[in-house]
Amino acid sequence: MEEQIAAPTRELPLQFHATGAEYFRIWIVNLLLTIITLGIYSAWAKVRRLRYFYGSTSLDGTSFEYHGKPIPILKGRLIAVAAYAVLALGGRLSPYVAFLMLPLIFFGVPWIIVKARLFQMRMSSWRGLRFNFHGNYTGALGAYVGWMLLAMVTLMILWPWALWKQNRYLLGNGAYGTERFEFHATKGQFYKFCLIGLALLLAALCMAVLPIRMLYTAHPELLRPNPNALPVEAAMVSLKLAGAIYLFAGPLILLAVAWFHARLLDVSIGGLTLGPHRVFARLRTWPLFWIYLTNLLAMICTLGLFYPWAKVRMLRYQTANIGLIAHGSLDQFVADTQTQASAVGEGMHDVFDIDFGF
Amino acid sequence: MIQGRYFDTHSSAAGVAQLEAVALESVCLHVNGQRQMFGLAQLEISDRIGSIPRRLRFPDASEFETDDNDGVDALLGAAAPRQTWVHRLERNWGIAVGALVGVVAVSFLFVRFGLPVVAGWVAAVLPPSTDNIIGQHAIQILDHGFLKPSTLDAQRQANLHNLFSRMTASLNDGHDYRLELRDSPALGPNAVALPAGIVVMTDQLSTLAANDEELMAVLAHEIGHVRGRHALRQMIEGVGISAIAVVILGDMSSVTALASAAPVLLQSRNSRQLESEADAFSRQWLRDNHIPEQRFDDILCRMIGPEDKKGAQLPPFLATHPAIQDRAHCPSEGK
Repeated sequence: MEEQIAAPTRELPLQFHATGAEYFRIWIVNLLLTIITLGIYSAWAKVRRLRYFYGSTSLDGTSFEYHGKPIPILKGRLIAVAAYAVLALGGRLSPYVAFLMLPLIFFGVPWIIVKARLFQMRMSSWRGLRFNFHGNYTGALGAYVGWMLLAMVTLMILWPWALWKQNRYLLGNGAYGTERFEFHATKGQFYKFCLIGLALLLAALCMAVLPIRMLYTAHPELLRPNPNALPVEAAMVSLKLAGAIYLFAGPLILLAVAWFHARLLDVSIGGLTLGPHRVFARLRTWPLFWIYLTNLLAMICTLGLFYPWAKVRMLRYQTANIGLIAHGSLDQFVADTQTQASAVGEGMHDVFDIDFGF
Repeated sequence: MIQGRYFDTHSSAAGVAQLEAVALESVCLHVNGQRQMFGLAQLEISDRIGSIPRRLRFPDASEFETDDNDGVDALLGAAAPRQTWVHRLERNWGIAVGALVGVVAVSFLFVRFGLPVVAGWVAAVLPPSTDNIIGQHAIQILDHGFLKPSTLDAQRQANLHNLFSRMTASLNDGHDYRLELRDSPALGPNAVALPAGIVVMTDQLSTLAANDEELMAVLAHEIGHVRGRHALRQMIEGVGISAIAVVILGDMSSVTALASAAPVLLQSRNSRQLESEADAFSRQWLRDNHIPEQRFDDILCRMIGPEDKKGAQLPPFLATHPAIQDRAHCPSEGK
């Protein structure tokens, strides 16, 4: 980017045009076709879903576009289903099999993350220009396996640091055309919101203790297990207990999750720059919490039928609070000629051939 | 004239452009005061989804984007029906409601009727060693949790083992039957069939039984489970159901995970069917061995307990066993 001289600054929030009613019809048709084709159509369904949401999101009057094709997605899904079957059955047959698979998972997961991110970014465009991803395998291995192991060894004290590494890897390696995104969030910011999130969670757990104490005061016989109690009765007691915990601690846990979600997006995405332009994210905890809570209740009341509206509500709030502070014109980004050619061309390179993104 | 935006795709520059239908099968692009002619066949046109903008890609990879979906469809006319059938399904509310009914019906029918059959096939393919491995692990887990060593005296234990081997000796169905006696206040009077022919019987059951013929009725029920490889089939169904849930709810989140509870309810129905199968096997076995079928009713009624309050029973859609009154004639039930 050349120097901008007296560049006017514009704040450009993302615009979102999707509606629940429109997405409901796309979703339910996708679902039926997926079921009657025994899951094969799910790849086509993913393309339609992402094309709908990308196409419904616009920046400065131009919508985003998803270019993914169903066949690479289908290949990725078939491999994933096969791997899942092997892992699920293997793990159930013998813990030794599961143990042998551990290194496979350790070294395989970062590879899948790189491939999925590469596919996702290169298959996205705005104003006809593709996004790109420059992260490599070693970076993913470090951020997702190395740092996670370090976090576990240190009893999660290093977990915010690992989360920071992972976000820096995913976002800081992104590019639009030839212009690289730069990640500016600090470890300190990550530690701050992780600690406050943890405090909220602990408060939620304390709230959960309250109903348990109430239950035991009401039914002191629970402390002395009745040897003649029928398993059914024991199950009903556990059910009541679980219900009480959900009722009391659930909203607080949801609040902690909303806080974490909002701060993570604000700090990580909100700290990105692209050339002279700056990405902003201003999600707030309470609106997000309200959307979580009402979506959840509506989903339960409608037996999951509310899902498309829930999804659209969530995306509408997120997109309305994310955007770009543009310094000067957005016309000067240049295509990464190599990427542009190989992604648009018929014969895609093998890296695009499989999509593992879920 | 279709209004839209034009991107050269070499840079992020955007220009205002118009597209105009000229002669049959060809269009004229007006951009930057220039006019370019294209045949419809040269253009790559994105198919319609909801009301998102349409994109037309020209042979030089440049793009034209427009919100005028109807305009593009009119331009294409009858010339190119393309893959618009999905969009035709998606725009229609009647079809959406029909699809909803279809989704519910198909998932219900599959989990109810298809999955048990598939699980049966998979179980048939898996070698007997699978049963052995699972069975060994299951009994280890149970021994850590609910079961304690049996407190019955050695003579009684030997008699029971003897009884069980006499029952299973003539079966010759490839299963290595083994009786495990355990004390378990948690399970109460009960017997459990594990894969690999392991049948666990609690001391509480042995005490509850009025005679050995009643115990044989319960053991025959468990043998019925072993012969049908019911435990293995249920495990396979469980894997199948979670796999289906992942496929259907492509993007899993905590909220959508709720919806996966529905198949579990259906599975408990399948489980009740397996219980009925095992009950039938037990009654048949009693008849074949000239033991009164009444023994089965007697012990079952006593196991569940005549004083069993109706309120303590799970609602039918959650229960893994059929209701007692559907399984046995209990005298005190007054039925």
